[in-house]
Amino acid sequence: MHMAWTRKHKPQTLKEVIGNKEAIRKLVEWVKAWDKTVPKKRAIFLYGPPGIGKTATVEALAKDFDMELVEKNASDYRTEEAVKRFAGIASQYSTLFGKKRLILFDELDGITGTQDRGGVKALTEIIKITRCPLVLIANNAYDPRFTNLRNYCLLVQFKKPPAGEVVKLLKRICLREGIDAEEEALKFIAQRSRGDVRSAINDLQALAQGKTRLTYEDVSWLAYRDRQENIFTVLKMIVYARSCMSAKQAVDMADVDPDMLFEWIYENVPRHLTHPEDLARAMDALSLADIYRGRIRSTRNWKFTRYFLDFMTAGVAMARQKTKPSGWIPFNFPKRIQALSRSKAQRKFELEIGRKIKRKFHISAYRASKEILPYIRVIFENNVNMAAGIASWLDLDAEMIKYIVSGKQAEAIIKQMEIL
Amino acid sequence: MSFEMWAEKYRPKTLDEIVNQKEIVERLKSFVESRNVPHCIFAGPPGTGKTTAALCLARDLYGKAYREHMMELNASDERGIDVVRETVKTFARVRSIGEVPFKIMILDEADNMTSDAQQALRRTMERYTETCRFILIANYSGKIIEPIQSRCAPFRFTYLPKTEHDEFLRRIAKSEGITLLDEGLEAIFEVCGGDMRRAINTLQAAASFGKPITAEIVYSVVGRAHPADVQKMVLTALNGNFIQAREKLREMIQKYGVAGTDIIRQIHTEIFRINIPEPWKIKLADTIGEIDFRLVQGSNEEVQLSALLARLVEAGYQMKQQT
Repeated sequence: MHMAWTRKHKPQTLKEVIGNKEAIRKLVEWVKAWDKTVPKKRAIFLYGPPGIGKTATVEALAKDFDMELVEKNASDYRTEEAVKRFAGIASQYSTLFGKKRLILFDELDGITGTQDRGGVKALTEIIKITRCPLVLIANNAYDPRFTNLRNYCLLVQFKKPPAGEVVKLLKRICLREGIDAEEEALKFIAQRSRGDVRSAINDLQALAQGKTRLTYEDVSWLAYRDRQENIFTVLKMIVYARSCMSAKQAVDMADVDPDMLFEWIYENVPRHLTHPEDLARAMDALSLADIYRGRIRSTRNWKFTRYFLDFMTAGVAMARQKTKPSGWIPFNFPKRIQALSRSKAQRKFELEIGRKIKRKFHISAYRASKEILPYIRVIFENNVNMAAGIASWLDLDAEMIKYIVSGKQAEAIIKQMEIL
Repeated sequence: MSFEMWAEKYRPKTLDEIVNQKEIVERLKSFVESRNVPHCIFAGPPGTGKTTAALCLARDLYGKAYREHMMELNASDERGIDVVRETVKTFARVRSIGEVPFKIMILDEADNMTSDAQQALRRTMERYTETCRFILIANYSGKIIEPIQSRCAPFRFTYLPKTEHDEFLRRIAKSEGITLLDEGLEAIFEVCGGDMRRAINTLQAAASFGKPITAEIVYSVVGRAHPADVQKMVLTALNGNFIQAREKLREMIQKYGVAGTDIIRQIHTEIFRINIPEPWKIKLADTIGEIDFRLVQGSNEEVQLSALLARLVEAGYQMKQQT
């Protein structure tokens, strides 16, 4: 049930492979040539960056041409001996049942100098005599180890497919999985993968499996995940700095903006400065930093940024006076940011209700959602009759009522509205 | 019992019905008599009748069809410069047909307008004075730019005094056929402090229990509508658990939308109620006052209030050291 989507949705025919049309054309031409006679180059060497469909192409090719695919990859030993055992298979073009064979040596980069000693040389020997088409795959065909081998191979380069193609593929997968995905979300995943289709599909699965809807908000978190490694280092430099200068310098290393860095510090300071007096000092520094941020906003004068940065870095670092050093303490993602993003949908819905209130009340939708809605909720919890009256007066729909109160009470109110 | 929100149902319809803000009402009535209204700013805290006064003025001035001669815009929802350029201008420049030669534009929550939009508004106000008069409604007139202020007659609304507050709520209770006990009334005034919208909403929510309204019911309504358990948060901090106290703070701010100033006011009240050495109370009042000041200057309420919680954690620690 939880099959990897990279397997579940891998191309079933060459037509489904995205991008690399020219490379595929060359490959097909070369395989077809075997039907007439053994071509000059008995092996084809496909190379290119990871995750763009080299192996998937060969597998689809075997299917399209109804060939038996015999595969060796990095997990197998590739010593001279192991490769030589292949010679027997390679010496016959077709199987006992008349099916043609295609031999694939995948992940050639994985051949290590010592363990697979002689592997490349043995492989070269097989190529010279093989009676079946032989496909080699590696990320880098120009590795010096392959210098001699290359002479016997037709070299075909695989390139990263354009992001637009990747988006189309992700769309197809979503369609099959029954997921309604925002175009922006898929674009974000595709762009972030930089042409690595496999990682794009893996990300999609991680984010969308089990959902019926995938929004941009759901995926934008990925960007933060990438940056976490970096942010931990920066936080450590700030919170444990011994001098003001080293704390201040950490800002330049951070690849998040200062406001976001502030959130990280604000979230994590209490766990790292545990002595009450240190904590009070550190939080006071953050409070002052926030004041400078307020001054930046009210005066629109960016020169105050330097004081904002001083307090949030050096100010926090210098707060450490009594906290005893302890073991490794993890850094947490800023909850405030998480909550803001999560509650965004909720706030939007509350504003929707606020708009309904606004039509009857002389108050803005925003303030209605903050000032009137809480009382409406209390009434809805208590009094079905009054609630039904108010609900129809405000023209609230069933979804809104269910948002305001849960379960049975909501249903009772809706029922009562029908009676009225 | 009726099925509307009472705060709207019992909103006065004419200037005569307004029970409070006597001097303001008198002046507004004189505008109606002379059939001339200047640009106005109605400033004051929420629930003191600013919007009501503006609507009543329009109704008294134009009669039944007042809606044809006035427009009500809420700057919190539509506060950009485009709204001023398009909606306001289109409305303002077309002359009104009828006895009164101008229309009225009510800009509610005008202190939420961007300063760009206010600048644009300033010119519109000048240019179309003949055809349109503006009533700007704001909690803080200080947030309205100076040039607009100088073009408007200022009116300052204040919280309702207790007698008028009580009278109004009793009238509603009577007309809705509910029993409002004196202690319930006291409690509403204590909690809402003369903000009539809040008071009436509290009254209605309390009435939804279907019992005579006691102080206990009122507190329960307030507790459920604004579950800001400030006392628990303060004690958690004083006991040294900053992270948990901050969680509670976040819940209040993010989940229930409680304003920072409300939270700090309650913390201040709480400090004098709880059981800590007396000298500490005044020491902490100073800290609270400082953070209260920073709330206005800073950009993020949660950060400022967290700094206060950290101070409470520190105070709790130092109290223990002393004993």
